[in-house]
Amino acid sequence: MKKVVLIVALIALMSVSTVSLFANGGKDTGDAKSTVTFWLADYEGIDHDFVGEIAAAFEAKYPEYEMDLVIVDWNALHDKLTTALASGTPPDASVIGTRWLLELMDLDAVVAPGDYVSQSTFDNIAPGAMEAKIDGTLMGIPFAAGSRFMAMNKSLASEAPATMEELRELAIEASKGGDYGLIMPGAKHSELSDFVYYFYAAGGEFFDANGKCIVNSPEGVKALEFMLQLALEDKVVQDGFMAQDRKESHPIFMGGKAAYVMIGAWADTEYGKMNADWDIEYMQIPPFAGNDPAPLIVTDSIALYSDGDNLEGIGKFIDFMYQDEWKAPLDKGMGFPPVTISAAKRPEFQTPMYAAMAEANLNAKGWPLVTGWVESASIIIDANQKALLGQMSAKEALDWAAAEVDKVRAE
Amino acid sequence: MENAIGIPKKRRLGGEATLAYALLAPAVLLMLLFMAYPIIYVFVVSLFKTNKLARIQEFDGFRIYGKLLADKENWKVIGRSLLWVITGVTTKTLFGIIIAVVLNTKYRGQKIARLLFVIPWASSIPISVMLWRWVYHTEFGLLNHTLKSLGISANPPVWLGQPISAFLSCMWVDIWIGIPFMALVFLAAMQSVPRTLYEAADIDGATRSQKFRYVTLPGITAILLIATLLSSLWTFNDFNTVYILTKGGPAGTTNILITYVYQNSFEWLKWQKASALSMFTFVILSIVSFLYSRVYFKREAM
Amino acid sequence: MLGLGYTNTNRLMKTFAIVLTIILLSIMLFPFLVMVVSMFKSSEEIYHIPPYWFPQKPTLQNFVTVWHTIPLASFFVSSAIIAFGAVILNTMISVPAGYAVARLNFPGKKTILYAFLVTQMFSPVVIVISLFKIVIGLKLIDTYISVIVANAVFTTPFVIWMLNGYFSGIPKSIEDAARIDGCSRVGALLRVILPIAAPGLVTTVIYTFIYGWNDFIFSLTFLQTQDKYPLTIGLYQFVGRFAVRWEELLAGSFLAILPVLLLFFFVEKQLVSGLAGGAVKE
Repeated sequence: MKKVVLIVALIALMSVSTVSLFANGGKDTGDAKSTVTFWLADYEGIDHDFVGEIAAAFEAKYPEYEMDLVIVDWNALHDKLTTALASGTPPDASVIGTRWLLELMDLDAVVAPGDYVSQSTFDNIAPGAMEAKIDGTLMGIPFAAGSRFMAMNKSLASEAPATMEELRELAIEASKGGDYGLIMPGAKHSELSDFVYYFYAAGGEFFDANGKCIVNSPEGVKALEFMLQLALEDKVVQDGFMAQDRKESHPIFMGGKAAYVMIGAWADTEYGKMNADWDIEYMQIPPFAGNDPAPLIVTDSIALYSDGDNLEGIGKFIDFMYQDEWKAPLDKGMGFPPVTISAAKRPEFQTPMYAAMAEANLNAKGWPLVTGWVESASIIIDANQKALLGQMSAKEALDWAAAEVDKVRAE
Repeated sequence: MENAIGIPKKRRLGGEATLAYALLAPAVLLMLLFMAYPIIYVFVVSLFKTNKLARIQEFDGFRIYGKLLADKENWKVIGRSLLWVITGVTTKTLFGIIIAVVLNTKYRGQKIARLLFVIPWASSIPISVMLWRWVYHTEFGLLNHTLKSLGISANPPVWLGQPISAFLSCMWVDIWIGIPFMALVFLAAMQSVPRTLYEAADIDGATRSQKFRYVTLPGITAILLIATLLSSLWTFNDFNTVYILTKGGPAGTTNILITYVYQNSFEWLKWQKASALSMFTFVILSIVSFLYSRVYFKREAM
Repeated sequence: MLGLGYTNTNRLMKTFAIVLTIILLSIMLFPFLVMVVSMFKSSEEIYHIPPYWFPQKPTLQNFVTVWHTIPLASFFVSSAIIAFGAVILNTMISVPAGYAVARLNFPGKKTILYAFLVTQMFSPVVIVISLFKIVIGLKLIDTYISVIVANAVFTTPFVIWMLNGYFSGIPKSIEDAARIDGCSRVGALLRVILPIAAPGLVTTVIYTFIYGWNDFIFSLTFLQTQDKYPLTIGLYQFVGRFAVRWEELLAGSFLAILPVLLLFFFVEKQLVSGLAGGAVKE
């Protein structure tokens, strides 16, 4: 009997498969309509149904276009884009991490959006978010911009530190109760945080005017040594820090076991899931004494690809999408404050977290926009880890990193 | 020359080859179409300087191979990969045989046991590995919690945080993923040994261990060799485990050749170097296969 | 025990086997035990420090969320199409090939076997871009067939080698006996060899099925429309940029494993059919 069931199921499945196998091959479906392809990154909180609505509404307004809106998982986006570009078939446009822009420009893979997107859309974008300007031309349309800030567990600590040194004192104080003073992810992940927070707080620059890596400057050494002190001497950070990236360490804060964490726009969403019995407060990442505050700002952009086949259509789509009724809910879902001036005024964006981000925006610094940044960041993370593992001193590690980065970027 | 039942061997030879080629044609065609070009392409790319879009630029010859041979970091990665594969395959095979033997024994609940042992294999590898990363977690992971509760260790290590424990932890997960497969392969092999041979051995008065040595083991040797060879190739190229658990960290101390290749291609866009490293992999694995095949084909001739 | 078939197992050995099974299972299933208890936990319980095993306030909410957030049914169907497709394609081309290398002599046998092996030395990571170009060239982008073929390509060498081993392990005398009885080669293959090698064949089928069911990299690269995504890609959505939604990921992964177990449950009998040895008298 079992065998019969299995065989029947098999035949049914085979019939279904044979039919679907040959459906939807390739990109050219209809002739009357032209297809517009856009890859949207899968930000945590966006509503996939809503995204479908945007596509449908666009098609309703512009019946000559068929909208292919693909939602791509963030972790896979870079690989998928690389593959698509390498084979000459990228989408018309996609969301990218702004720092990818230089690589793409190096390969003549992108076109200036100004030729396809209307000026009114640009005018509605906050000037401070226009990070993706290369040699004066805007090459990427700001899509999301979020500065980093600090969150505090009010039942474990009560003061907002004005300097890094003060943060250290407060973290030590908070850790006396058995909880952790500060969260510090030590494992390798896609970003150079948390090192960059301390580095910028010390007034550090990654590269000098000639493009030479100066992460081993006194500022860099100061930042790294501070981290070593917090982690290895004061022991105020979480026990498993070497094995944890931010996806694994921030939940420790959200679970109520740490006093401070340097975090970003996802804080509210994560906190909301926890039904916590403690209150959260948002504040700025402090600078070292004697420096100006310089939190990190990370922007994502939309890039238009020269090999895309419907740039006109994608321009229209972007104009369409950036209207408040579509972009604002997207921004809210994504957890980022809006890049558009009109949307930023909406009531749903006037929360404490957004206020903290707005304040951070005033002084924030972005990632260096240089070629070879991905390798450079990877090397610097390795250097941090070598120091944290005790294999090298902070100065040795950063000297090694600077040399390696220069070598790698020269190739 | 005749075979055992008197059918003249010579007469069959010509027709045999034609039949063989016909039977092999679909498989060979498929592989040629989909693997030949990519493999050749990888080799070719390694001979050219490439841009970040993997387009070849100027001819570079074998220069990159010279650079890699001289690179100390490269040799560390290779050495680690060899350690990885030797330990991994040996452990998987051992566990596999033990479990196969256990599953071959008739007892109540045997069918359920077989089902349960398959679970690690049935689950999608990226997700299983992520699950292990969660299990290894110092604060949230139930591994350390269990070790502490059972009193086995008051202060368990931060598994993925230190070079040696991280490498061992990665190895364990890779082994863990591979064990059910090995167990199943050996179980099937043991089942395929004809019962008549055991009966004949019984008639001859063989003991249990003699039966194992002279009936079971020879019967499964072919499978044993093939399974361990293929396992060696796959284990060497196991990308998911190390990458998801540690991304090659901390400080590159768990990088094996395949993760190093990935890093150079998809992260750093150094396609020439990545291709050359892939060819390194090919050479190493060819040597491994060569050693195996000598043993395997020698057996066949016997 | 010790691979002796069903002969001579006594009480002591049965007990020993059961104890060993429990120990081994505890080790092997440890993460899944974690999965099973955690999927009934809400966020606060999952991220509780110190962690604990059993949920204090068990909830089915995670399953509900998974069901509403992602098109689970569509993912299931896609995974099934890919997996079954790979199995069918693979079996159709590998069984004849396996028979050929196991039973026939021909020039170039070693070379062909070795060539199949060579393809296993290249991980999908290394050649995925070239494969992508081929798929685009054949206008097969965003079709199931591209993923099925890719999976079949990577599993075929293994199946051929394994069938070679399983077929070789069957004494030629059995097959020759059948042929003396008047059987053709194909007949001998189907009625004598395959039944005896059934456990081996089932193993390779299961292998290919699982490979296809759990395919990640090819589905990721070749498929572009959401409604074609299989479970592996679909569930990966819960791994975000800033946080992992463990609650939903665990619930979804659990559901993804069930069909494989179901399949295994059905074919397990073939694995231990014990048809070995009886075939000659047939």
